[in-house]
Amino acid sequence: MTSSLEHQAASHAPLSLDAARRVIRRGFAITAIALLGVAATYVVAIGFTPVEAHQGLAQKIFYVHVPAAWGALMAFSLVGIVSALYLWLADPRLDLFAAASAEVGVAFSAVMLTTGPIWAKPIWGTWWTWDARLTLTLFLFFLFVGYLALRAALHDPQERARFSAVVGIMGLLLVPFIHLSVYLFRTLHPQPVVLKPSAPSLPWEMLRTLLFSTAAFTLLYVGFVTVRYGLALAAEAKALRDAG
Amino acid sequence: MLEPVRLALVVAAKDIRAELRSKTALLSALVFAALVLVIFNFARDPTALAATDLAPSALWVTFAFAAMVAMNRAFTVEREHGALDALLLAPVPRGALFWGKLLANLAFVAAVEAVALPLFVLFFNVDLGGALPGIIGTAALATVGFVAVGTIFGAMAVRTRFAELMLPVLLLPFMVPPLVGAVQVTARLLAARPLSEMLGWLRLLALYDVVFLTLCTLAFRAVVDE
Amino acid sequence: MPAEPPANGGYLVAAYIVAAVILLGYALSLWRRARRML
Repeated sequence: MTSSLEHQAASHAPLSLDAARRVIRRGFAITAIALLGVAATYVVAIGFTPVEAHQGLAQKIFYVHVPAAWGALMAFSLVGIVSALYLWLADPRLDLFAAASAEVGVAFSAVMLTTGPIWAKPIWGTWWTWDARLTLTLFLFFLFVGYLALRAALHDPQERARFSAVVGIMGLLLVPFIHLSVYLFRTLHPQPVVLKPSAPSLPWEMLRTLLFSTAAFTLLYVGFVTVRYGLALAAEAKALRDAG
Repeated sequence: MLEPVRLALVVAAKDIRAELRSKTALLSALVFAALVLVIFNFARDPTALAATDLAPSALWVTFAFAAMVAMNRAFTVEREHGALDALLLAPVPRGALFWGKLLANLAFVAAVEAVALPLFVLFFNVDLGGALPGIIGTAALATVGFVAVGTIFGAMAVRTRFAELMLPVLLLPFMVPPLVGAVQVTARLLAARPLSEMLGWLRLLALYDVVFLTLCTLAFRAVVDE
Repeated sequence: MPAEPPANGGYLVAAYIVAAVILLGYALSLWRRARRML
């Protein structure tokens, strides 16, 4: 099996296993700090943030669910944008980055898809509602899975890169349509609500915790993607070395 | 006539002729459509759920799955006969190639829909009223959207080992806006609701078509060229 | 006099644990892949 980078080796910086190792190490360092940040978020959310009077303790799931949603959306947007860049610039590293972002996105989506219903049940009275957030969660998950399934099923690196880039771009453009569908659906089918969800204007203590959590999750995304990208670089470097 | 348009029609005609000769995609889609319609009816408790409440969803599930069967088969048949490679060697602009495949797929799906719709009216005892033109128009709008995406995904899926599985996996999220829009509009048409209640959905369908037809036409080159 | 908030702490615990398991699980899978590769 030829390495995709062989074809591009002439026009891009030579790839070394050492460079890949450095990327991976840096990624793990960032990940470690980020995981500590997430742990700190847990402590702050539970111990140092007020309890919402109407919704109770379960409202605090918000401090994990919302940043995970942000992370998944960011991961997905980057897959789409980097895919477009790949089709334009044909740098295979862009393809490797997109794949890394997709895999990390699945992890964040999984957090969304599990914490979402666990949050919905006490707050809305039902495990699932077709509201904007949960619906988008589900679709991002399907899109990620489709993207990764296609990559797994294609063995020629060029073909895999090109095809997944097309899927990535199309997926990104689908997101506004999902939003619009949910919006149209909701305005015509208002859901009965058991408890009113968080008001748009948050008190400072809650906003502070949310911002802190979002920062931690964003850093976690960066750490995870760096490692995953580094692993892909390492795999390519090894293939080059073994073939050459 | 513009050369790319003529080429697209040539490609479409070739595909349609090939399908008419073997008839496999068309027949499997039609059988599937009939099956879904029958099962939906038998599964329904008539005292609990009125036919008109279920009918739009049943119709569109039928159309959607039949379309997927048709699109999948269309590309598989071509792979088996190696015709795509020969076609790619010729200097056919890739956009024209896409539209040719799209038109052929639309012809298949339209044929299935044309048979399924009367069956649906029959099995569900639907009173069409004056809704037929609206339903046909909505069907056209929605079908174009997901068949466009299905055509390009079909071209990709056919390069994988489990093409029959890969196409639905990729296509599912993309079918939701057109399907949801189509069901909502169809339900309102059958209930003779005013146009104002459907405009939002119709705009969604139209916008989806414009965006994805353009995108798929441009992206097809990345899928068929080395 | 405001009512007592509902006693739904169990959901909070469940959600926080599930999220931690997923994130740590993914981090662990990355670690193991790195060990195997390098």
